[in-house]
Order: sequence, then structure tokens, then C-alpha cells
Amino acid sequence: MASLESLRSVSIGEYLPTGSVVHRIDARAKLLISLILGVAIFAANGYLVNLALVLLLVAFLKLARLSPRFVASTVKPALPLILLLTLMQLLFYGEGPAGSTVYLRWGALVISSAGVRMVVISLLRFGGLLALVSLLTNTTTTSALHHGVEWWLRPLTAVGLPGHELGMVMAIALRFLPILGEELEAISHAQAARTLVAERRSRWQFIRRARRTANLIVPLFVSTLRHADEMAFAMQARCYQGGRGRTQLNVRRWQVLDTLSLALAVIILMTVLILHRLPLP
Amino acid sequence: MTEHGRIRRVIIAGLLLALTLLLALIPGIGFIPVPTPAGNATIVHIPAIIGGILEGSLVGLVIGLGFGFASLMRATIPAFKDPLVAILPRLFIGLVSAWVFSGFYHASKRTLMAGLTILVVVALVVVALLTGASPGALGWLQGLSETTAGSAAFTWWQGGLIALIMVGLAAGLMVWLQNEDRGIVATALATAVGSLTNTVLVLGMATLRGYFTAGMSLVIALAQGIPEMIVSVVVVVAVVAAVRQFGRRKARL
Repeated sequence: MASLESLRSVSIGEYLPTGSVVHRIDARAKLLISLILGVAIFAANGYLVNLALVLLLVAFLKLARLSPRFVASTVKPALPLILLLTLMQLLFYGEGPAGSTVYLRWGALVISSAGVRMVVISLLRFGGLLALVSLLTNTTTTSALHHGVEWWLRPLTAVGLPGHELGMVMAIALRFLPILGEELEAISHAQAARTLVAERRSRWQFIRRARRTANLIVPLFVSTLRHADEMAFAMQARCYQGGRGRTQLNVRRWQVLDTLSLALAVIILMTVLILHRLPLP
Repeated sequence: MTEHGRIRRVIIAGLLLALTLLLALIPGIGFIPVPTPAGNATIVHIPAIIGGILEGSLVGLVIGLGFGFASLMRATIPAFKDPLVAILPRLFIGLVSAWVFSGFYHASKRTLMAGLTILVVVALVVVALLTGASPGALGWLQGLSETTAGSAAFTWWQGGLIALIMVGLAAGLMVWLQNEDRGIVATALATAVGSLTNTVLVLGMATLRGYFTAGMSLVIALAQGIPEMIVSVVVVVAVVAAVRQFGRRKARL
């Protein structure tokens, strides 16, 4: 039953109004910045550069008055799994390309410098992405995020794709993530009361695991899809009719702050790309 | 489509996307441990299939995109850190399911029988060619089977067995179609094909990009793709039948 408590800690998508300077950046700019920094995280391929990026993002978290400890705590439920996979990756990576040193060899298990490098860099990348995602979603309201995505998707409308609707899909998904998490928790409690708990079992009892997972998933899907009809009526009753002729109550103007932060992100990406060519560790 | 239907489509896409993220992000829910090298059978592709079946290919595509991103974000092995492996193949799950479902659901019985017959004949011809009776003209096909299965083309009795199994499956499908609600059959088939799309395209891409060897992919496909397919069919048929009120399952759930 302890696993059920983890459901509530899905903090992605939760807006935390701390009123920092990061909160004041335009959502459109923030989306583009996240994309640029995401590319930078994946482009960085060395201990130093990746570590610097993580530290930089943690500094940005501080700037946004978010607690890095809180952000890190959201992965706590997954920690054993992450550690196990990391260990497996380390042990089964093999010798790697020529030129990498082998630290330890025991039968098929090899710890090589290439393996260590890959594991450390993946963990740093993971940390960077975690900070980045929370930096975006914890400082932006879902409606601002929605408008931002819609604005960027506007060119799609020209080729006949529903830009506004795609933005709406994303907004609904982010808004409902915690709600559905709670719903899943309620269903697992209800099924537990009927003694249909999805307890931890070994890999070999696959069928039993699958059946117990289905006991949770099927009611979750059915109740979710039933909500959809009611919600469609509710939105129609409030005269929602898609993107046609829709205007915004508060029109957000592009400001100097947005340009500056965007420029900073571009500078970070360029730096990473330049450092990529240098022989850093 | 009515105004209500249009709005509902947007909402369903959004809710299923949220479910995808939920299944992908909460540890222990979206993955069922199985004894294979990759370790887990996924059920995270199920929302994409349901979206494709209920609301059409565009919704399936959008949810598949979300699945791809989620998979890229939580990737713990290097293969899935590659957008070409993590995202691109996932776009096709919902698309393929939507096409198979609507093709099957709306086709007339005669078209279905004809299509099934053609499919079986083509498959039988391929098996016959692979059975080794005719080297030369279609040697490349044999070469293909050599690289993927790691052995020469089938012997005559293996070929015969495969042909028998295929004819049996086709006959079973026909009988099933006669007796069961069309919606349920179409849902089950669309789900099976959608799940296979995920397995084949992802592993194929991982092999092409050099993360897995062909043999490794084949083992994962058999040991993991099949359980994934069975679980998805069970879940999706239950969900879609309940939502769309198909067949005899009306009173249940």
C-alpha cells in the first residue's frame, strides 16, 4: 500500500506562485527557452559541461524561488528503480570503444571508463531535464502555457492543422494530470478494499501482475472517458467553440525581459556547442 | 461532426494524453515486469490506441507524440534517449490503430472476406517461396530470412506448419466475425496491430540505429511484444466496449 502514496507526488504541472522574476517571463519565451536549453542538455557531452549545466539550472530554480530539494524529492519514489538501472547499465555496458580503460572485470561484468562516463552523463542529463521541466511548469500557469503553445502553433493553422485545438489538448492534459492521479489513487483504494491490490510480485508471475494492473487501468480509463462527455457539454454551455474568433482577456506583450532571457538561453546553447569541440573531460 | 463532437474530441485527446503522462511518469503503474532482457512490458501505448480507435487518426497521432516525449524524458537506457527511436515510431501507433479499426468497422462483410483471402494467399506464397523449393529467383527473400531468423529458409514441414497455422487463424477470424459484435472484433484487431506497430517499429529503429543487434531485437520482440499485445487487447477491448456500448458487454462494468 505504500506505493499508493507516491501517486500524489506527481508535481509536474503544478503552478507555484512565488512571484519571482522567472514567473514574469512571457510563456512564449519560456517555451522557446526550454526547448533551447533542452537541446543544450542533450548536446552537452562531457563531465564538466553537463555538471555546469545542472548547476546553472539549479541556480535558475533558486532565482525562481523554487526549492531544488522539493524538485528533487519528486523523483524519490522512483529512486530505487533508477539506482538499479544505473547499476545494471554500469555493469553490463561492456568495454566500450578502444582506448577506454577497464577498471574491473569479473566474468561478463565489466566496469570500464566508457561505462562510467555514460552513466554519469545520463544521470546529469536526467537531473538537468528534471530541473528544466519543473522550471517551466512550476512558474507558468496552465492558461499562460496554453496561450504560449497556441501562439507557437499558429503557423500550423495556415496548413489546415488545428493549432488552437492542439494547444487546448496540451492544456487539458497538464491540468488533469494531478486530478487523474488522485482518481487512480481512489480506484486503487477501492480495489484494495475488494482485496485486488497490485502488490509487488516477482517477474515470473507475469499474468497475475498483468491482471491486477488491468483491475486499476480499466476503471481509470472508463471513468476518465465518461468525464469527457460531461465536460464537453459544460464547455459548450459556456459557448466554447474552438479557436474561431477567440480573443484573450489579458493580452501579454513581449518585453525586454523576454528578449534578454531568450538571449541568455541562446548564449548558453552556443557556449555548450563551442565547448563540445574542445577536449574537455 | 457536431459542435459537441468536435469539443469532445479535443477533450478526449487531452484526457488520454494526461493518462499517457500519468502511466509513463508514475513508477510501477505503466510497466509490468517480465523476465526479458529489457525487463518491462509497457502499457503506456494503450491511450494512443484508444484515442485512435475512439476519435480517429489525428487524436491517435497527438497522443503518440506525447508518449514519445514521455518516453524520451524518462529514458534510462541510451536507445530511448534518441528521438528517432523514442518519438518517431510512436507516432504510428494511433494512426495504424485508427486505420485498422475504421477499415474493419465500416467495411462490408464481402470486402472483409475478400481482403482476408487475399492476405492469406499472399502470405502463403511468401511462405512457399521461403520453403526452399525455389532458390535463385527469389534468393533475396531467403537472404532476408537468413539475417533475421539466424537460420536458413524453412524446411518443407516448417513451411507447411506455418501455412496450416495461418489458414487456421484466418478461419478462426471468420468464425469470430460471424459470432461476435463487429465493434469488438475491430477493436481487438486494431489494438493487436497497434501494439505490434509499437514493438516492430521501435525495435526496428533501435536496430537500424545500432543500439541493439538483430538477434537481441528478435528476442525482445517475442518475449515482450507478445505479452504487451495480449495485455493491450484485454484492456482496450474492455474500455472501448464499455464506452461505445459494443456487444454483449453492455451490462457489465
